Amino acid sequence: MSRPPYRAGPLVWAGVLAATCLLLALLQKVLWLVLPFLFALVAYYLVLPLKQRLVLRGLSHDSAAVAVSVGIFSLLGVAMLLSAPWLSAQLPALQSGGGRYLEGGMRFLGETLAWLEGRFAFAARAQLGQAVLGGIGDFVENFAARHLAGAALAAAAWFPSLLLIPFLAFFMLRDGWRFKRFLTRAVPNAYFERTLYLLDQVDRTARSYFQGLLKLTVLDAVCLALGLWLIGVSSPLLLGVVTAVMAWIPYLGSIAGCLLVVLVAATDHPGNPSVAYAAIALFVTVRLLDDFVFMPATVGKSLNMHPLPTVLMIFAGGAIAGVPGLVLVLPLLGIVAAVGETLGAVLSDPRLRARHRFARALLREQASRDLRC
Amino acid sequence: MFRLFSPSRPTGLAQRLAGLALLAELTPRELKIVAGLVHQRQALAGEVIFDEGEEGQAIYFVLAGQVTICRQGDSGRPIALLGAGQVFGELALIDGGPRSAQARAASDCELGVMFRGDFFNLMESHALIATRISFALARHYAGIVRQLAAAGGAQP
Repeated sequence: MSRPPYRAGPLVWAGVLAATCLLLALLQKVLWLVLPFLFALVAYYLVLPLKQRLVLRGLSHDSAAVAVSVGIFSLLGVAMLLSAPWLSAQLPALQSGGGRYLEGGMRFLGETLAWLEGRFAFAARAQLGQAVLGGIGDFVENFAARHLAGAALAAAAWFPSLLLIPFLAFFMLRDGWRFKRFLTRAVPNAYFERTLYLLDQVDRTARSYFQGLLKLTVLDAVCLALGLWLIGVSSPLLLGVVTAVMAWIPYLGSIAGCLLVVLVAATDHPGNPSVAYAAIALFVTVRLLDDFVFMPATVGKSLNMHPLPTVLMIFAGGAIAGVPGLVLVLPLLGIVAAVGETLGAVLSDPRLRARHRFARALLREQASRDLRC
Repeated sequence: MFRLFSPSRPTGLAQRLAGLALLAELTPRELKIVAGLVHQRQALAGEVIFDEGEEGQAIYFVLAGQVTICRQGDSGRPIALLGAGQVFGELALIDGGPRSAQARAASDCELGVMFRGDFFNLMESHALIATRISFALARHYAGIVRQLAAAGGAQP
């Protein structure tokens, strides 16, 4: 007679949520390693299908990993060589453009605040425009003096750990399968099939999350680029791609991306604030599409979780570990859920535990058989 | 350092897999690919390998020793006794249903185990291997049908 399939209960789920929060708090302490590891993991899952294809064509794991790595590095090298002249030509324009866009954004903000003061007496009484613009102006003027040295030091401190990304990705690609074998060899026979299933689930969750994230980025980039092109903002494709990548940081990334586009729109069309408002409306629309259409079809599929705990965990991740917590919380939650559910299934199965005890008794008996007189 | 994770399986696993009826048609290169997906396990005489009604996650190859296939709790009357070179646990893998019987080590034995995901991934991504294994499985089941028909006195 077949047993009913196991379903995780409230205790398992409470454990999963608590373990995810605890891991986020711990990972925050080793952020210098977590971020390169995360980027390496994204790179690993992107190129893993290529390596698997080569292995199934008869290449050894080591040769396949080396072949894929050399191929990827060659492609990146060629792309960098080809884009270097174009980038060096664009740098002066970017440098002057930064100041210009900031000016355009400030002008748009000033016009909006003046309109608010004209419409609402409380805003005029509070001298809202003067207060906000004064604060922003002071921040911009003193930004270099206050933050540039700190930012340069932080970049210098982070640079060596970012060099770990290709190194980690290569060894994940070359030795990931060995690590899995190393883990499974230590598992008793009674739990062996379940462990294989668990490892597969963890692998599948992580892979589908990161691949889903990339699909979501492409969808966002296409929608934003198309929308920005329709409302007449310059460089719609570049802005679409940049803002879609920024959206990897839930909520904060979308807000920062929206601000960037509003700056560009206000500079491209001075005296026509409707373009900037249209850009804001576009971002809100894409955000809604993300939440209700794109995310459930891409990233949501990998997590297989109710939207409410998912959204709550995003906020908890932000509260526990800041911006890195916002980025890490969903893949971590998916993996911990896979581990938690399988552990729950194993630990709540008296038959598996009895089989393990029986196998140990057999081993003891076999080991002591010739010791009896 | 990565020696730590290096596999401790004999280099001759591919040759040992060549002795399996299911993989007999594969070339040495194809056997090497399959060997890369097979986990080796030891089971003691009397140890339960899987239970009837369990969800099947793997296909098993008997590399050495003997395995009894029996009804749950009725190991005294085995349905089949499998020796080296034979395969079991493939039915639950193919139809996705629960295990139809219990498998128990009749003697100390060595088993090859291939996980469901790896098996299907191999079948989906390697047409030649998939064809040869499918034919071998079809022959395996044709043999069972013939046996059943002979036992019933009919001609298939």
